[in-house]
Amino acid sequence: MSAHNRGTELDLSWISKIQVNHPAVLRRAEQIQARRTVKKEWQAAWLLKAVTFIDLTTLSGDDTSSNIQRLCYKAKYPIREDLLKALNMHDKGITTAAVCVYPARVCDAVKALKAAGCNIPVASVAAGFPAGQTHLKTRLEEIRLAVEDGATEIDVVINRSLVLTGQWEALYDEIRQFRKACGEAHLKTILATGELGTLTNVYKASMIAMMAGSDFIKTSTGKETVNATFPVAIVMLRAIRDFFWKTGNKEELGDEWLKPELFRIGASTLLSDIERQIYHHVTGRYAAYHDLPMS
Amino acid sequence: MAATRAGPRAREIFTSLEYGPVPESHACALAWLDTQDRCLGHYVNGKWLKPEHRNSVPCQDPITGENLASCLQAQAEDVAAAVEAARMAFKGWSAHPGVVRAQHLTRLAEVIQKHQRLLWTLESLVTGRAVREVRDGDVQLAQQLLHYHAIQASTQEEALAGWEPMGVIGLILPPTFSFLEMMWRICPALAVGCTVVALVPPASPAPLLLAQLAGELGPFPGILNVLSGPASLVPILASQPGIRKVAFCGAPEEGRALRRSLAGECAELGLALGTESLLLLTDTADVDSAVEGVVDAAWSDRGPGGLRLLIQESVWDEAMRRLQERMGRLRSGRGLDGAVDMGARGAAACDLVQRFVREAQSQGAQAGDVPSERPFYPPTLVSNLPPASPCAQVEVPWPVVVASPFRTAKEALLVANGTPRGGSASVWSERLGQALELGYGLQVGTVWINAHGLRDPSVPTGGCKESGCSWHGGPDGLYEYLRPSGTPARLSCLSKNLNYDTFGLAVPSTLPAGPEIGPSPAPPYGLFVGGRFQAPGARSSRPIRDSSGNLHGYVAEGGAKDIRGAVEAAHQAFPGWAGQSPGARAALLWALAAALERRKSTLASRLERQGAELKAAEAEVELSARRLRAWGARVQAQGHTLQVAGLRGPVLRLREPLGVLAVVCPDEWPLLAFVSLLAPALAYGNTVVMVPSAACPLLALEVCQDMATVFPAGLANVVTGDRDHLTRCLALHQDVQAMWYFGSAQGSQFVEWASAGNLKPVWASRGCPRAWDQEAEGAGPELGLRVARTKALWLPMGD
Repeated sequence: MSAHNRGTELDLSWISKIQVNHPAVLRRAEQIQARRTVKKEWQAAWLLKAVTFIDLTTLSGDDTSSNIQRLCYKAKYPIREDLLKALNMHDKGITTAAVCVYPARVCDAVKALKAAGCNIPVASVAAGFPAGQTHLKTRLEEIRLAVEDGATEIDVVINRSLVLTGQWEALYDEIRQFRKACGEAHLKTILATGELGTLTNVYKASMIAMMAGSDFIKTSTGKETVNATFPVAIVMLRAIRDFFWKTGNKEELGDEWLKPELFRIGASTLLSDIERQIYHHVTGRYAAYHDLPMS
Repeated sequence: MAATRAGPRAREIFTSLEYGPVPESHACALAWLDTQDRCLGHYVNGKWLKPEHRNSVPCQDPITGENLASCLQAQAEDVAAAVEAARMAFKGWSAHPGVVRAQHLTRLAEVIQKHQRLLWTLESLVTGRAVREVRDGDVQLAQQLLHYHAIQASTQEEALAGWEPMGVIGLILPPTFSFLEMMWRICPALAVGCTVVALVPPASPAPLLLAQLAGELGPFPGILNVLSGPASLVPILASQPGIRKVAFCGAPEEGRALRRSLAGECAELGLALGTESLLLLTDTADVDSAVEGVVDAAWSDRGPGGLRLLIQESVWDEAMRRLQERMGRLRSGRGLDGAVDMGARGAAACDLVQRFVREAQSQGAQAGDVPSERPFYPPTLVSNLPPASPCAQVEVPWPVVVASPFRTAKEALLVANGTPRGGSASVWSERLGQALELGYGLQVGTVWINAHGLRDPSVPTGGCKESGCSWHGGPDGLYEYLRPSGTPARLSCLSKNLNYDTFGLAVPSTLPAGPEIGPSPAPPYGLFVGGRFQAPGARSSRPIRDSSGNLHGYVAEGGAKDIRGAVEAAHQAFPGWAGQSPGARAALLWALAAALERRKSTLASRLERQGAELKAAEAEVELSARRLRAWGARVQAQGHTLQVAGLRGPVLRLREPLGVLAVVCPDEWPLLAFVSLLAPALAYGNTVVMVPSAACPLLALEVCQDMATVFPAGLANVVTGDRDHLTRCLALHQDVQAMWYFGSAQGSQFVEWASAGNLKPVWASRGCPRAWDQEAEGAGPELGLRVARTKALWLPMGD
C-alpha cells in the first residue's frame, strides 16, 4: 500500500477562481472517446490492467456471507486461468484491487479472503452511505467500527448539502474528521457528482477532499440517478493534477498514474464484460454466459 | 476451449501501457484506384476524361511515399471542355424547379452515406489527415451540407424570389485542403441552380470520386466537373468565357494576384484566403478547456492552419504549463490509424513550418527544437516572439501556435484586430459581459465563445479584411451564387491598354470660365469634410455647366490630401455611429428626409437647370426623401438568431457595418442616386466618403448643407473634383473598407485592380447605367446585402 495523502491546510484561494465550462468539457469528453482506441494485444493488455483497478463491489440489501465469499474468490481469480495462460499472464498475480462491501459484511469478506490466502484489501462503504444524511457522530462511529472489523479502505460519501450551500470549511472539517477516524486505513471520498449540480462544484469538492487528506476521490456511489460519466471524470482528473502541481509533486496525470495504488474503478458488472472481451481475444469466439465463472 | 490466437506481446504492454496501432483498412480505396487502372484523369460531363499526351503527377501516400496512382494534368483545352460541359448543363439544371434540384442533392447525400467508407479512407490515405476527423467530422458534415442546401433549393422560388443563378462557377482549391472545402462551395452553388467546374490541385482523388458519385446519379451529368491541374491553370480557368464567378480559396498572395488579373474580366471573384485562426484566453476562462480549444484549432487535424494565441498576463504561467503538458500527450502518426491526433501533411507543409519556426527563433522566439525527421511535424508552441518581428506579421502555419500576452480586454482587442487577417477567432471567458464585448469587438467573420472550430451548414462562415469577403453556408452562402433577376449580364469590360500606373494620376487643370449666373442663393462651395465645408487643398475650382451649357457654378477641386482628410474624418466618426442603435440612426435619416423636403424647391430648381422637367424634378426629391425613410425603417430588422443541431444555445448572425465606405456616384440622377447610396450606407452604421455626380455635384452639396446641421461631424464626407483622380485615391487607400463605383468601364477596371491592395470588397457598375428610380435597382435587396458584413457569433450554453 502506498503512503497516505497527508492533506494540506485549507486554502480557499485554490478553488475561489476556478470555473469549469460545461459545454466545453462535454465536447472534450466526446473527443476522448473517439480519439483513443486500443486493439488486439493492446486491448487485451489494457483490459487486464483495468481488472487490477477494479474495486469488486456488492452493495445490496440481500448480501450474505455466501455471495461475499464468492465475490472474494472472484476477486482473487478475476479471469479464467487458461485465458491468462494463453496470454502468458498467469504469473502476474492479476487480482482486482479490492473488494468493496457494506460495513456489516466486512467481517465476512476479511474471513473469506484470509481463507483464500490472499491480501486483497477489503473496502467498506461508510459514513451514511449512500446519502450521507445521518448525524456526523454516527457517520464517524461507522468508520471506526468498519476499521475495527478489518477494512483497510473506507469509502465515505460527502455531505452534499455542504457543497450545494457552499460551506467549504465545514466540508473540509468533516472530511478531516473522517480521515482521523480511518486511522491507518485509506480514505476514499465519494463525491456523488450526480448530486453536486455543476462541474464547477465537482472540481471544488474534489479539491477540498484532497486538501482534507483523501487518498482517493471517487465519482459516485452507484446509487444516484447519474453516476460516473466522462465529463465528471475529466474534471476530477484535472483537479487531481492541479492538486499535485500545487503541493509541489512533480508527477502529472500520465501513465504513472495507472497503478492500483492510485487509480480505481468501482464496479460490479464491469469485470464480467472484461472477461468476455479477453475470452474473445484469446479464442476468436464470443463466450456463452456459462463459459465464465460468476462472481 | 477453442484454439489460442493471442500474440506474445500482451505481457510487455501490460507493464508499459503503450498505445498500439489501430489501422483502418484502406483496401476499398485501393480497389477504387484500381478501377481507374491507377491513373486518374478528370471527371467532366458525367464521364472520365483521360486525354492523351498529358503530363502526369504521382499521387503518393504522404507517409510511406508509396505511389498510389498517377494523375493527369489538365491543359487549357481540357478546361475549355469542362466549362463548355458546365455551360450546357446550366441550361437544364437552372431551368428545373427547386424541388428537382433538392431531390438530386438529397440523392447525392444518400450516395455519400452508402459509400462513406470509401470516401473517408481515400481522403485520409492521400491527405494524411487523421481518419477520425474525416470519418466523424468531414463526411458527416458533407451529408448535412447536402441536406441543408436541398431544403434551401426546394424553397428557392419563394425565399429567394427576385434572384437568379449566376451561371457557371469556377472553383479553385488550394494545394492542401479537405474535400469538405469543396462541398461548402458546391452545395450552395448547385442548390441555387449554378453548375460548377472545380480545379483541384494535382493528386487529390477525393473530389474526383465525389464528382463520379454525383455524375453516376444520372440525369444531370455536367453540373459538377472536376479537373486536376497545376496552379498555372488558375488564370486560364478564371478568364474562360462562360465562367460567371470564380470562387477562390487559397493563399492571400495568390488571391491578390488573381484579383488583379481578373480586373475588368467577365467573371466575378469571391475570395476566401488564409488559414490562420485566433484564440483569446482571458483570466476568467476555464483554462483547461481553452487548452482543448487550442488543440482543436491547431493540433487535431481539424483546422487547416496555425493559431495565434493571446493569453491574459495573469494566467500566462498557468496556461503555458497546461499547454506544454497537453502537447506532450498528443500523438502523431499515420492518418489511417484510429488513435492518432495528428497525421502528416506532406513535405511542402513540413518545409513551410520548419522555415517559420527557424526564422521565429532567429528573431528571438522560443520554440523548442526544430525536428528534422519526416514526414511528421510535432505540435509546436512559439512564445516570446517580439511583436515587431517579421514572423509576427505573417500567417502562422500549421501546426504552430504563437502565444503572446495581453493585459486587458481592451488591449486584447487592439492586438487581435491589429492584423490584416479577419478569419475566425474564439474567446474564452466565463464572464458573459466580457465575452460578448470581445466577441462583438473582434473584426473577424466567425467568433466562438468558449469553443473553437464548430461548424454547421446553416451558419455562414467567411471572413473580412484580407481574409476575403466571400461566404459559405447559411443564407450568405446562397447569395454568393445569385444575382438580382433581370439585371443585364455582367460583361467583360477589359481594356487591355488601360495603364494602371497613370489612370487618374494627373488632374487636368481647369481655368476660370466666367462668373456664375443664375438664381440666388449661390450654390454652397467647398468640400464637405468633417461636418463642414472646407477649402480644397489644391485651392482651385472646376466649373459646372447646366444642360444648356451655361456656367452653373464652381465646385472645389479635391485631391489626394482631401481624400486623406475625408477618410480620417470618417474613421473618427465611425465608432460612435456604429455604436448607435438602428433606431437612433433611423431617426437621423428621417430628420434628413424632412430637411430635404423643406429644401424641395431649391433642389427642384437646381434639377431643372440640369434639364429635368419640374414635375420629374419634384418627384426625384420626394423619392429621395422616401429612400431615406425606407432604409431607416429597414435596418431595424437586421441580423437574426440561428439554431444549430447539437449546440445548445444560439448562433447570432450579426450584420455589422463595413467601416468607411467609399462611394463614387453615377453621373445621372445627381440627387436620387446620391441619396439612394448614402441612405443604406449610413443606415447600416457605415461612415462614407462620397464623390458626387461629376456632371452636377451641386445637388449633393445642397444635401450637405442639411447634413451639416442634422448629422454628427464626419458621418458623410463629400469630395468634389476630377472623378478619375478621386477614384484612384480612394481605390488605392488601404484604410477604406469597401468601395462602390458607378461609372465608366475603365474606372471600374481600375477600381477592381486597385482593390487588391487591402482586398476591399468592390461593387463596380462597369459602365452599365442603373435605373435608380426603380425600386429593385435603386433600393433593392442587393444594396442591403453589400452594405454590411456578416459575423457569426456562437454562444454555446450550459452549466
